[in-house]
Amino acid sequence: MNWKLLFARDTRHLRILAALIIVGGVGAVLLRNHFVPASYGQHGPYRGAALQEIATRPSVLQTDATCLKCHENVQEERAESPHGAVRCTHCHGIGRNHVAQARQAAESPDHPIAPAEEWDGDFLTQIDLFITHDRAICLSCHEAVVGMPTDFRSINVAAHLEDQGAEEPKSRNVCFECHEGHSPGL
Amino acid sequence: MNYELSILNNDAERGTSVNGTTCQNRSGCDGCREAEETSSRRRFLQKATTIVFGSLSLTLLPVSAGEQTDDNPADGSDGDSENQANLGSTDHNNDAEVVFGFLVDTEKCIGSGKCLTACRIENDVPEGFARTWVERFVHFKDGRVQVDLVPETGFSGSGLPTIDPDDVERAYFVPKLCNQCVDAPCNQVCPVHAAFTSPEGVELVDPERCIGCAYCVQACPYGARFINPETNNADKCTWCYHRIMRDEQPACVEACPVDARVFGRLDDPTSELSRRIAEIPTHVLKEHLGTHPKLRYVGISSEVT
Repeated sequence: MNWKLLFARDTRHLRILAALIIVGGVGAVLLRNHFVPASYGQHGPYRGAALQEIATRPSVLQTDATCLKCHENVQEERAESPHGAVRCTHCHGIGRNHVAQARQAAESPDHPIAPAEEWDGDFLTQIDLFITHDRAICLSCHEAVVGMPTDFRSINVAAHLEDQGAEEPKSRNVCFECHEGHSPGL
Repeated sequence: MNYELSILNNDAERGTSVNGTTCQNRSGCDGCREAEETSSRRRFLQKATTIVFGSLSLTLLPVSAGEQTDDNPADGSDGDSENQANLGSTDHNNDAEVVFGFLVDTEKCIGSGKCLTACRIENDVPEGFARTWVERFVHFKDGRVQVDLVPETGFSGSGLPTIDPDDVERAYFVPKLCNQCVDAPCNQVCPVHAAFTSPEGVELVDPERCIGCAYCVQACPYGARFINPETNNADKCTWCYHRIMRDEQPACVEACPVDARVFGRLDDPTSELSRRIAEIPTHVLKEHLGTHPKLRYVGISSEVT
């Protein structure tokens, strides 16, 4: 190997090419390290840190068990009833603030717990905790619309009220003339 | 070889000695140099093709480690269970196991919409978009099939035109959500690897990397994805990944009053989900597309897509 070739004029194009390749290679590695996130490739071709970020989001909805810790009487009322499948939140709201207040009240008994309000008729209501006897909530599950399974207790409202002799069929609270929310069976 | 001599002495005269042979060329040593160049070029080509073809032949070697087939399904179960779809995956990008499963029983759904409000609240879904929705299929006696969207507050009091039950042959509700496909087209097309599959087999979107190009929204054959206008990222049902990783149920499953949605672990044969799947025949949507959804349905007919 003639080392003079390394610097000969006639091999300049090869040196330029070699320099470009080296600069390009080093530059590519530097750019990659800069732009590709650190946790990329941990579990697969994605940013591994995203898994933790998504998995650590807090849960918003709670199960009935949270409510029943304090309101045990409801558990007994619903014991024999198919309404055991209905969630507390369906008729009483999300109750996040209520649960937070109750937890604080458990530690410092003087802590106030805001009472339930009357439902405003909005299924996406902002009211945290409500009590209602509004027929709209009952009918959201029980009204006989086309598509209901046959083994479900769905009712045709007008016919049902007439058959059962409702006193005020136009009232918003007519269902509760005969039915109770937690154990509606008769 | 003394190649360098022929460069540096490119004006050698006839009769000059080069490489031990006497130059016979009338015009000088050009002829000898060309012969040297040709043979060295030929030698280079011979070496290069040998190396290239040699390395190419290595790619023909079968790669058997980690391939998932019917005999080696990803969820670890025996591959020939009747009710199990072929869960063999061609996604070798990461070794996602099929851990979670989801069953929707359309014979139980009453269209109450409780799941829809629960999802909206749990996942902060902006109005006008939905991670999950419920469709109603109405088969009329005259052969028509009508498809409705169940309002989030349920049909009751919604003001939508009612259908005369006498005209209807049969009708049922079909809740829909992300199918969490094993061979998800959405993950394939993402240009920035923001759409990916978690090690538990749940398809997620990385909100930091997503650029909002909406290619995945186009790619999903089930229409499960949308661009969230508040974050400008692709968004979709994640089976409440943040809840299921804490052993809670997804919000929609928790909210359903009639157990039309069932969620559980497929790798636990005692879970309610595994028992239900083993007992009843289940279907998936758009099976012909080969996406292998992990979401399974009970009670749908071929009109449902």
